[in-house]
Order: sequence, then C-alpha cells, then structure tokens
Amino acid sequence: MSTAASILDGPTGASVAAAAYLDIVGVSKSFGGLQALNDCTFNVTHRQITCLVGPNGAGKTTIFNVITGFIRPDAGTVGFQGQPLNGMPSRHIVDLGICRSFQNLRLFSELSVLDNVTVYLPSRTDENPFRPVLRPFRANSERRERRAAALAILEEVGIADRAEDYVRNLSYGEQKLLCIARLLASGAELLLLDEPASGLSAQALDTMIALLLQLKEKGKTFLVVEHNTGIVRRLADRVVFLHQGHVLAQGDPEAIIADPALGEIYFGGAI
Amino acid sequence: MNYLLSYLIIAEIYALAAMSTNLLIGVTGIFSIAQGAIFGIGAYIVALSTLSDTLPFPLAMLLAMLLCSLVNVAMALPSLRISGDYFVVTSLGMQFVLTAAFTNLPGITGGASGLAGVPPPVLFGVELDDSQSFIPLATLALFAGMACYWVVMRSPFGLLINAIREDELAVSAAGKNVLMTKVGVAALSGVYVGVAGGLYSTFLSFIDPSSCDISASFLLLTMFVVGGARTLAGCLIGPALLMALPQALAVMPIPSSAAGPLRQIIYGALLITFMLFRPQGIAGQKL
Amino acid sequence: MLFLQLLVDGLVSGCAMGVVAVTFTVIYTTTQVFHIGHGAIYTLGGYVVWYLTEQGAPFVLALPVAIAICAAAGALIQQQLYNRLMQRNATPLVLLIGSLGAALVLENTLAAVFSPNILNIVTSWGNQTISLAGVRLSLAQVALLVSGPVLFGGMVAWANYTALGKRTRAVAANEFLAEITRLEPRRVHVVVLAITSGVVAIPGALIALDHGMHPYTGTLVLLTATIAMISGGLGNLVGAFVAAVILSVVQTVSTIVMPGQWSIAATFGLFVVLMIFKPTGLFVRSTA
Repeated sequence: MSTAASILDGPTGASVAAAAYLDIVGVSKSFGGLQALNDCTFNVTHRQITCLVGPNGAGKTTIFNVITGFIRPDAGTVGFQGQPLNGMPSRHIVDLGICRSFQNLRLFSELSVLDNVTVYLPSRTDENPFRPVLRPFRANSERRERRAAALAILEEVGIADRAEDYVRNLSYGEQKLLCIARLLASGAELLLLDEPASGLSAQALDTMIALLLQLKEKGKTFLVVEHNTGIVRRLADRVVFLHQGHVLAQGDPEAIIADPALGEIYFGGAI
Repeated sequence: MNYLLSYLIIAEIYALAAMSTNLLIGVTGIFSIAQGAIFGIGAYIVALSTLSDTLPFPLAMLLAMLLCSLVNVAMALPSLRISGDYFVVTSLGMQFVLTAAFTNLPGITGGASGLAGVPPPVLFGVELDDSQSFIPLATLALFAGMACYWVVMRSPFGLLINAIREDELAVSAAGKNVLMTKVGVAALSGVYVGVAGGLYSTFLSFIDPSSCDISASFLLLTMFVVGGARTLAGCLIGPALLMALPQALAVMPIPSSAAGPLRQIIYGALLITFMLFRPQGIAGQKL
Repeated sequence: MLFLQLLVDGLVSGCAMGVVAVTFTVIYTTTQVFHIGHGAIYTLGGYVVWYLTEQGAPFVLALPVAIAICAAAGALIQQQLYNRLMQRNATPLVLLIGSLGAALVLENTLAAVFSPNILNIVTSWGNQTISLAGVRLSLAQVALLVSGPVLFGGMVAWANYTALGKRTRAVAANEFLAEITRLEPRRVHVVVLAITSGVVAIPGALIALDHGMHPYTGTLVLLTATIAMISGGLGNLVGAFVAAVILSVVQTVSTIVMPGQWSIAATFGLFVVLMIFKPTGLFVRSTA
C-alpha cells in the first residue's frame, strides 16, 4: 500500500515518537493460527481524540486488550507517558489512568445506575472484607462520600436524574452514557472507547459526541474504535487505520477517509 | 419447652452457617461443596480445646474462626486464580480429605465415634449447660452475625462482591483485584461457619464426622436455596424450615434405614424444584 | 510382587476412571454444564446389572439393559432439567445446583431401594482369575483393561469422524453460532448425554462386579474424574484418559505407604500441586 507512506503526520517518525502520550510499537499477537496483531505501530496524542478504524477483525479489540494488560503481546511494547506497560497487571494500568469500555457494555444489570458508577471509583480498601466489620462507621461514611462522588459524575455525563434507576430501565443511549460515567469514575485520563456511538439514535449521538468533545476540552484523551465515517469526521483529531493487525495509515482524518485505496479495503476486501 | 428451645438454638446455629454459604455462593457466586467440612473444623477445634482444657471457650471460638478462615483461603487462593469450576473440584476434594481426617485420626478426633462429653461453654464464670442458658448465647451470636452481614453488604466491599457476581470482567476492567476480593469473601465466610461449628459441638456436647460430611454440605446448600440468596430473611427461613423437616419425617412410617436417604432425596428434589421454578428461594434474590 | 500387583490394579481402575473422565469431558465441553449427576449414572449402571443378575439374568444380557437405562436417565436429565434451565437463561451456578439435585435424588433413591450397604454382583465366572507374569487378574479386571481403551478410542473416533460427533464439536466450539446455523444444540445435548451416560454404565457395572458397590461410589469417582479432566487439559480427551490412569495408579500404589482411606488425599494433594504449577493441565495442546 504505497499510499500509506504518504499519510504520516508530523515531521519524521523519530521526533514524534519521543513525545507520544500512548506509544504502541511493533506489537504482534497471534492466537493459535490466527495473527490478530502484526507489527502494529501507532501513537495517541495527549488531549486529542484518536479514532481507530478498519474492517471487522482488524485487531481493534485485541489492541485494546493489549494496552489494558488483559493480553500479553508476543512482541512489541506499549508505552504510556514514557513508561512501559509491558507485563504490568491490568489493575496497575488502571491506576496509571487508562480505562476501557466494552462493545457490549457489560453494565451491572442488577445494580442501580449510581452503584454502577460507584464500583468504578478507585479505592485502596475496597477489597478488604474485614474493614466494614472492624470499622463500621468509617465504612458508612465512605459509602456516603462515594455515592456523592458518583452522583457528581452522573451529573457531568447528564444522567443524574436516573441515579437510583435500574440499568434495564435506561434507554440504550443512556446506557452508553453510563459506560462513559464509569470510566470517568475510575479517574482515567486516557479513555479507550469501543464503539461508543454504535446503535445510537441521532439525538443520542449528538449528546454523546458533545460529551466526548466536552471531556476532551477538560483534558481527557481518547482512543475510540469507530466504524462510521460520519462520526469519525465529527470526533477525530487523528485517525489510525488498522487492517489485519497492521497499521496501514495514521494521520489526518479527512485524508484517510478520502483515500480510495483504504476505502476499498474498508468496504471491499474485508475478512 | 426445652424441645422448642433446642430446635431454635440449632436453627440459629445453622442460620449462621447459612450466612456463610450466602456470602460465598449467593453474593459472590463461588460454589463450595466443602461447607460441611469447614463447619466440622470449627466444631472439632472448639470441642478439642475445651475437652482438653487447653483453651477457655471464648479463645477456642476465636481459634476456630481463624482456622476456618485460613482453610477457606487456602482452598480459594490457588483455585480461584484459575476459575470457579476449579474451586468446585477443590472444595469437593477438601470435603473428602477433611472427612477422611475426621474419621481416620481416632487419636485426635475420636474417629468415627467422634468426641463425646464436650463441656458446655463457660462465659463469665457461668456454665451454659442447658437449652435455657445456651439460647442467649446462640441468639447473641446470630444477631452479631446478622449485624456484620448487614454492615458488610452496605459497604463498598459489599457492592464490589455483588458486582463481581454480575460481571467479573467489568470489575477487573475497573482496576479492582477480583481474585483477592473473592479470597476475602472466602475468609469472611470461614469466620461465620467456624462460629456455627463451635456453637454446635458445645451445645450438643458431641461431634462426629457424620455432622460434617458431604451430606452436611448438601443440607447447608439446600437451606441456602430454599431460604433464598443474599437476604437475611433467607438465612433465617431456610434453616428454620429444613430443621423442621426431620421432625416431620419422624412421624411418618418409614423404616429407619431409609430415613437418611429419604432426607437426601427431599433435599435433591427441593434443589431441582427451586432451580426450575423459584431460583430466588422463598425470600431471596435472583440467583 | 506387591508393587506390580498394585500397579496393575491401578491400571485397571484407571481404565474405568478414564472412561468416566472422557465422558465427563465430552459432556462438559459440549453442554457447559458441570454434570455432577454423571457419577450417579455410573453407579446406576452397576445397580441395574446387580438387580438383573439377582433375578437370574446373565451378566452379558444385563449389561446392555444397564447401558440403555443409563442412556435414558442421562437423556432425561438433560432434556427435562438442563434444557429447561438453559431456556430460562440459567446461570452456570443454577445449572450446577440443579445437577447436584439430580445426583442426590438418583443416588439416594438407589440407597433407599437397595439399602446403603455394599452389594456384590455374583456371576458364575466372576471369581475366575488368570495369572500373568506373577500378577493375578480377575476376568472383570481383564474386561476393564480391554473396554477402557476401546471405549476411549470409540469416543475419540466418534468425536472426530462421525457426523454427529463433528456436529457436537461444532456446538461445543460456538453454541451461539450453532443455534443460528440450525445445528439444534439442544437436541445435540440430549444425544450427547444419552451416549455418554450409556457408555459410562460399562465401567460402572464392571467395577461393581470387581469391587462391589454402594450407592455413593459415584461421588468419589466423579471427583477423580474431574481432577483428571482438568489435569489433562480441559477439552483434551487423550489428556483426560491418561491423567485418569495416572491418578488411579497413584491412588492404588500409594496404599503401600499410607492407609487406603488417605489415598483420596494423595490424589487431591497432587491436584493442588498441579494447580499451583501448571494450571492449564499437563497435556495442553498449543492450538486453541
């Protein structure tokens, strides 16, 4: 793909790589006979929305799993603000400020909306069963503090009025906003979103895009998997085009969208 | 009257054990078939300590709580690292190994005949040697257990374990240590069942392997299923009903050799029926 | 030579255990249910043969009847219990509890009807033994040594070469896909339970002939079989069979150094060690 080489952002590769917020270099991963990621290299810039596009099976979810530490790559490195993430347990990666959402949401359906967010609040003492027994009053005040914090996040996202409701009573758009709320609760600075806009009505889509742009203004960084070119246009500062586990192009959204060769891969020769 | 008190005390003891089962299976979703054996550890530890006069009753109970907690953790740590099904197999193995220990170490556990003459608890110089004096202790223990259960369920830990049952992966993605949380549940659960066991052997003045073999695990499981998952009401209703069952069977014309198997058939039938038609039990939540 | 005799005894029960482990693995990988009732079906096989031989039927006629009855029982459990629960989107926990309920009912019905005591199947040829290199083998044991690998080979061949076997593997690999491509996973499950339950009646009857049986033998056998399944690497039929044989040999030979009642501790201890050092199993293949 000769066009790929012509769509690189920045001056030369070397000086850009040193300053990258999230740096993925040469990551490869195979599952049995299937090569999911093949020398995948790209970066994500601080305080920008980078969209990850590509046909189905291109490896987008796999790269999310690698970044968040759920899967070990066979080769390559992932660096976050200069710190290598390789081999780090996933919960430490969350502590560093990276959190991901799921394509199938994975909300806690028996818990209230507020509780869904509360679970994601970071804590040193959550996992200790004897703490509430030995210090019941502290546990109670912690509970109230966390509920207040969770409510504030729901307000930021725009669904505070649904706080005590059950997840199943929310519209799909509201459920997707809840996913974003959970990530914000975790304290993430880099949010990995897996198709946050798919299946949304036009109005819900506007709300979601407005929210993401607003969060970007507040300093959050996003890596977003997205299929729809219209949405990519509205959201993306940069685009990374992934195909068969390899990055074919990264850079200016309009240029990549307009490229006919990439378009053919995306619509024509998909797996 | 004495008879009613005895029934209440036993029901209260089993209610504590039911809370243990509820924490493990009902709230967190970890299936253990070793509850009977851990109950047995609590019972034997307190019995042995007080029989040999090594420890006063309160310390013996603390030791039981600690040991049962540790055994649960030892089961949980290697197996839950991998999957829930591994824990099922581990708990089954542990149940068999402990039953073998209770039966085949006559020097320590009295073997198949068990330990008789376990002294009644002595608290503040008072010997609780009949139902009337024992029931305040049992009731107090039950209330303490219920209070702890309530506090835990309302705490961030309680929320966390409910979320784990719902979707473990999403909880991992939140940066929580799911494995250690589950091990924590196992530890807490062990404390409850250790208390129950200790009260059991000192109330009956007797403990033998048949009270803590796999059929005891089945009984605890049936109490949990019938009463219902995750609610305190379920922890009380299940034992109350299941403890009345042997009495009901006693008045029916059944040969004594068939009584034991018949009870187990009823437990099995209850399990199947509830799973098919009312998995949340009488007073519980969705399983 | 005691060691050799114990070794052979271990191989014999290993063959039985192997069949239980392999059939359990097929059930688990296909239906995703941890079918505790399988141990009870194994026991049922022995009891059916006992009952029929007590009525005067020859062993070779009683055995096929036992196979048929066990197949029916297994299919019934799948159809009436598991399928119904799956239709209601039951969680694995609910299925597990239901499975335990089925096992309890089955085993204790046997205990209530036939008494909880140990029973022995009496046949005219049951006591005959042959001698091989200083080792005594009863004919039942010979039958086990032969039937074990044969049944194991049969199950592997079925899984890999028959249409139903391939369909079963497809269902096991991706049930959702199987559902929408009309492979009728529910139907497949019932057939799988029927086949595996029928097969497991054979070691059940033969072991009962060799050792005698009581209503609760199934649970202990199931424990060893599940440990074998896990040790062999989940889904790996060869691994399950080999692991079962190894575990049985260890169990039997360990009686040299520890009393028989502790042999289960030896098996379990090995399992815990395995879990800590090689949790994916001993024989995991590298392909998914």
